[in-house]
Amino acid sequence: MKLGRYELTLEPRPALPPFHAVLTAVVAILLALAFSSVLFLSAETNIFTAYRAVFSYAFFNSHGLLATVHRSIFLLFCTYAFLVPLRAGLWNIGLPGQVYAGGLAGFAVPFVLGAPQVRALPPDLLIVLMMVAAATAGAAVGGFAGVLRARFQVNEILVTMMLNSIIFWLVAYMIKEGGPFMSATGEGESFGLPVPLHAPLLLGVPFTALLALGAAVLLDPLFAKTALGYRIRAFGESPAAARYGGIIPMALSLVVFLLGGAFAGLAGYHYFAAVPGVYKIPGNYGYYGDLGFYGIICALIARGSSLGAVPIVVLFAGLSLGARFAQGELRLPFGVDYALLGLLMITFVASHVLYRFRFAWRRIPPEALPHVSAELPQE
Amino acid sequence: MKRGSAAAPEPILAARGITKRFPGVLALDDVDLDVYPGEIHAVLGQNGAGKTTLMNILFGLVQPDEGTLEVFGRRVRFRSPHDALTHGIGMVHQTRRLVSAHTVLENIVLGHPRVRGVLNLRAARTEVETLGNRYGFTVDLGARVWQLSEGERQWVEILKALYRGARILILDEPTSALTPPEVKTLLAGLQGLVRGQGITVILVTHKLPIVMSASHRVTVLRSGKVVVRLKTAEATEEILVHHMVGRDVAFRSTDRALPTGRPLLEAEQLAAFNDKGLLALRGVSFSLREGEVLGVAGVTGNGQEELAQVLAGLRPAASGSVRFDGQDITRLSPLQRWQRGIGYVPAERSEVASIAAFSLVENITLNYHFDPAFTRRGVLDDAGLERLTQRILSAYNVKAPHQHTRAQHLSGGNLQKLILGRVLSRRPRFLIAHLPTHGLDVEATAFVRASLLDARAAGAAVLLVSEDLDEILSLSDWVAPIYEGRFGAVLSREEADAETVGAMMAGSLLKGARGQ
Repeated sequence: MKLGRYELTLEPRPALPPFHAVLTAVVAILLALAFSSVLFLSAETNIFTAYRAVFSYAFFNSHGLLATVHRSIFLLFCTYAFLVPLRAGLWNIGLPGQVYAGGLAGFAVPFVLGAPQVRALPPDLLIVLMMVAAATAGAAVGGFAGVLRARFQVNEILVTMMLNSIIFWLVAYMIKEGGPFMSATGEGESFGLPVPLHAPLLLGVPFTALLALGAAVLLDPLFAKTALGYRIRAFGESPAAARYGGIIPMALSLVVFLLGGAFAGLAGYHYFAAVPGVYKIPGNYGYYGDLGFYGIICALIARGSSLGAVPIVVLFAGLSLGARFAQGELRLPFGVDYALLGLLMITFVASHVLYRFRFAWRRIPPEALPHVSAELPQE
Repeated sequence: MKRGSAAAPEPILAARGITKRFPGVLALDDVDLDVYPGEIHAVLGQNGAGKTTLMNILFGLVQPDEGTLEVFGRRVRFRSPHDALTHGIGMVHQTRRLVSAHTVLENIVLGHPRVRGVLNLRAARTEVETLGNRYGFTVDLGARVWQLSEGERQWVEILKALYRGARILILDEPTSALTPPEVKTLLAGLQGLVRGQGITVILVTHKLPIVMSASHRVTVLRSGKVVVRLKTAEATEEILVHHMVGRDVAFRSTDRALPTGRPLLEAEQLAAFNDKGLLALRGVSFSLREGEVLGVAGVTGNGQEELAQVLAGLRPAASGSVRFDGQDITRLSPLQRWQRGIGYVPAERSEVASIAAFSLVENITLNYHFDPAFTRRGVLDDAGLERLTQRILSAYNVKAPHQHTRAQHLSGGNLQKLILGRVLSRRPRFLIAHLPTHGLDVEATAFVRASLLDARAAGAAVLLVSEDLDEILSLSDWVAPIYEGRFGAVLSREEADAETVGAMMAGSLLKGARGQ
């Protein structure tokens, strides 16, 4: 773009300091909030009242803060379910299916054992069993897509999305209309977990928080420092080069989808069996599955960094809850919360450009300024 | 640095003091270039000398940090190739940029500034035909591009540039994908354009014979600087090499006195399918001892790729067997072969042998991530890998700003030295080198060949796959011309003369495969 004697161009940044990543993220958040002011203004609501409602509920209200924490743990698991295959260049788009599978497998443990056994066995053992079952089921569903991808080159995006649908209806079969997991009252939801099987709480937060944060801390060094992480990244950058270097595509696709699926399974375990006040598969379980899609966007915004994903996940979790709260509190139109998150995604994606490119002002040399004729000289 | 020739007309294109910096690299340093109307001007230089950057500046793809351009006597500033085209400069890139499912005519018309909205192919056809006839263009306009040979495709690109009104044509390494007869046709055609139509041609190359046979004038670049400007008539190949490299280069060739060791590799009736499912390798047998080089000579596409991949474990053998050190390895994975001491230098340097977005250390790791010496309980030994990288960079004379530079910033020659250094650092007992010097400059070529001979002297068996007959004949103990997936013969170096091997590469004199 030309502006008088100066020229404005987009240039790739030679170096990418972490400071820039943080700065562009902050700018993206502020922009999204600025844009969403229009939403509140159109509903004739004071912007500051609206934002106060959003943030005070999400982060400064004891009830809302706990909800934010619970949702953040869930979203972190979903983020890693997408992030691990993403580093290998594979897209675990249909991760909600793995979330449902995790939830179902968790509840299958007390169901299969039966009430007498559940009472007889130590609850800690049962809780561990439920988690292992949830992670295994998620991994099995993910691994299926991984095998199809590696062995037959079937697109993992299609497979996971279709599995998603299959398992969604499997859950419906299990918990509704006389399904095996249906609650005694028959209200279209699963039986509630017996109290001893409720996940232990630390300061009101289920212990799954430790697992999620542990993964946040451990995944980055896994990719950066270990041979497995190297293989995953190499495969993600260039499958042909990875194969040349002795990496086995079949094993690698399987590993990342098993790992990703296990994270998604844990997300299912967390929301249905560890969040206080839930402890069942509710009739609107599809809402939590859809929530899992935010994990995809969080992983993409974090550019594959597990630790970098934490603040983004907390922000998404908080804003989704806070905006929903503000919507009810201030009688805003339906969908304001989704619109806010949507705007946030758009500004984050747009900020990628600012992260990788910079605007450059250049003085145009005077001799180049006069307009040069576009015609060829005639010989 | 003023040009030597006087009494010439005004230059049609003049670049003055062009300087371009990339992060960590001074790509062009105060470069002047004068191109006169109606000449073929060769820009000669090794890989990484700055030729491509200079041409990208002339074509508006890259903006210089300093310096000015004059075209047809007017000072200009290009912000995009579109600007360059409106000033009559056209470029034919090293890699073809044509839509292969479209016809020649459609490709020529595609993207023309005048084509907006409705495409009037009939009117365009008459116009292109007239233009084609004027320039002696013989390719059928209705043919689909995928049906054309590489040489014909190049002519389509040239006509496409002319159709856009180019009076100055930049050709970047135009001969790299052509067969020798196609090269002859191209050069003759270019001379016709220059003589008959007053087109000016800038020919970017590192091939001396091309410069000597086709150009009128030559500018030699070295490390981003112009080292000399000459009339081609006043130059010799020796002088040009000297300027291009900065010193004299001698190619080493095989030392025949070296005793050879015990049999190491035996391939028996190897066959393999290509990616299209056709039998591309059709029963190849040979045996190789330690310290021997088998040169497989052939024009690309005769099964060499498949042979190299089958031996490296990247492609399953359809039939036949490979024995290495007495063991059958036909079904082993690439990883198992690396671990047994089989090294592979693929022809695709940037797609297969390296990862562009990875640092040099990470690229070295590509052959070491499985090595117990560089991993402890699954964790990579970063310090050890950095030391190893440093050793390889200095031993193989790789010019790189830093070992954490991304591989994409290395020039072709430096990347190949890095890859070869990495593979040889594993001390392979059997080395597969596929087109190891293809597209490299004189100096890197000499270095790579010397490294292969060093590996041979250290007792490695080498399978050298090359299109360059001189290379094969100077390095090999055994020569196997390959044609349509079969060896014409396996000749000892004494029996292998250029005529016999050349004829077998072209498919004549075939007697059926013969073991050694």
